[in-house]
Amino acid sequence: MAGKDAGITRMVLVLTLTCAVMGGALSVVYNQTKAEIENQERLYKLRSIKAVLPEYDNQPDKDAVKVEDVEFYPGKKQGQLKGWAFEWSSSEGYGGQIKILVGIDTQGNITGVEILPGHAETPGLGTRIQEPEFRNQFKNRNLENTNWAVSKDGGDIEAITGATISPRAVTHAIKDSLEFFNEHRAEISSGGMVE
Amino acid sequence: MSVAREFSKGLWRDIPVFRICLGLCPTLAVTTTAFNGLGMGLATTFVLTCSNVVISLLRGIIPNKVRIPVFIVVIATFVTVIDLTLKAVQFELHQALGIFIPLIVVNCIILGRAEAFASKNPLTLSFADGLGMGLGFTLALFALGAVREILGSGGLTIFKYGTINIHYSLLPSNYVPAVIMILPPGAFLALGLMLGLMNKINAILDARRGEKSAV
Repeated sequence: MAGKDAGITRMVLVLTLTCAVMGGALSVVYNQTKAEIENQERLYKLRSIKAVLPEYDNQPDKDAVKVEDVEFYPGKKQGQLKGWAFEWSSSEGYGGQIKILVGIDTQGNITGVEILPGHAETPGLGTRIQEPEFRNQFKNRNLENTNWAVSKDGGDIEAITGATISPRAVTHAIKDSLEFFNEHRAEISSGGMVE
Repeated sequence: MSVAREFSKGLWRDIPVFRICLGLCPTLAVTTTAFNGLGMGLATTFVLTCSNVVISLLRGIIPNKVRIPVFIVVIATFVTVIDLTLKAVQFELHQALGIFIPLIVVNCIILGRAEAFASKNPLTLSFADGLGMGLGFTLALFALGAVREILGSGGLTIFKYGTINIHYSLLPSNYVPAVIMILPPGAFLALGLMLGLMNKINAILDARRGEKSAV
């Protein structure tokens, strides 16, 4: 290395200059990518919302209604409300928290369920809650027409062979979310109309 | 020491992970699929090449006593650049790699090459060294990811972007996937087997060259 034992001034100078130049370069990159990152994050959210709601033509994330810290995304077609999508989470997962996105139509029936990334379920077993075969069985269910427990616990929800804990966590979370939705329904819909 | 030689040493003779066992933490953690390995490898290649170039350029003016902080600042900058860029253009891959992108900063290979090579060698050689080592690392991660993915799920996804998804189902459908290969222990098993295989191949090559086995 060419740099010999240098004085303290030079050390401070070189280190400060390096930090300043690198910091400057970073701010340029940050500004260049900022808009696209926000756009990607929004698209990502919209993809999940689209998967759980009936067809809509509005912008659910922009029309969102907040009730007790839960954001409800309305799906509307030609101005008419078709359903709501919202995030819910379970802490009963095998690997901790599982976040889900639930879609509910105006009659209170489930229109779709998505498992959001960031959970730590066992790959190949617990992660099969992400598969359509498991998720689709929740469609058209509501609080009245279903016994909200996995089959092993005597309920109506088919669990996954070799994994009971993850499906159970999801089932309970969906039931909770439906109850929350019913309880706050008036608030949510009025918020949706007032905006 | 030619440019070609510095470049090619990273691909076989000194291939990271398999020959120089550095950067094992991200190696073990992200190679659950081949595509994750590829993404992580390429991100590391970018950081390694850029940091090697900058450190080689600065090698005359960096005082010896503060060289490590300077190296780390340079490396951290490029890691943040790749972190932001990946988030903007490959959002899903970024989600899959998660915390391991920021952790490229502490990947021993990068600081190792800066200290052992770039701070003592001219620009072109340092560039070749960084690119070669980076691609070798990518190759190793891709291979390890492929082995784990094939054994653990029966198929292999080579590339996915948006709607493009190149996936092959390689093993017969009655194959029961060995889930353990995708779990953390599978990383150690696969890495151990591949290290052994590399040593075996090298031993055979050495013997064929009539040299004493180096292994």
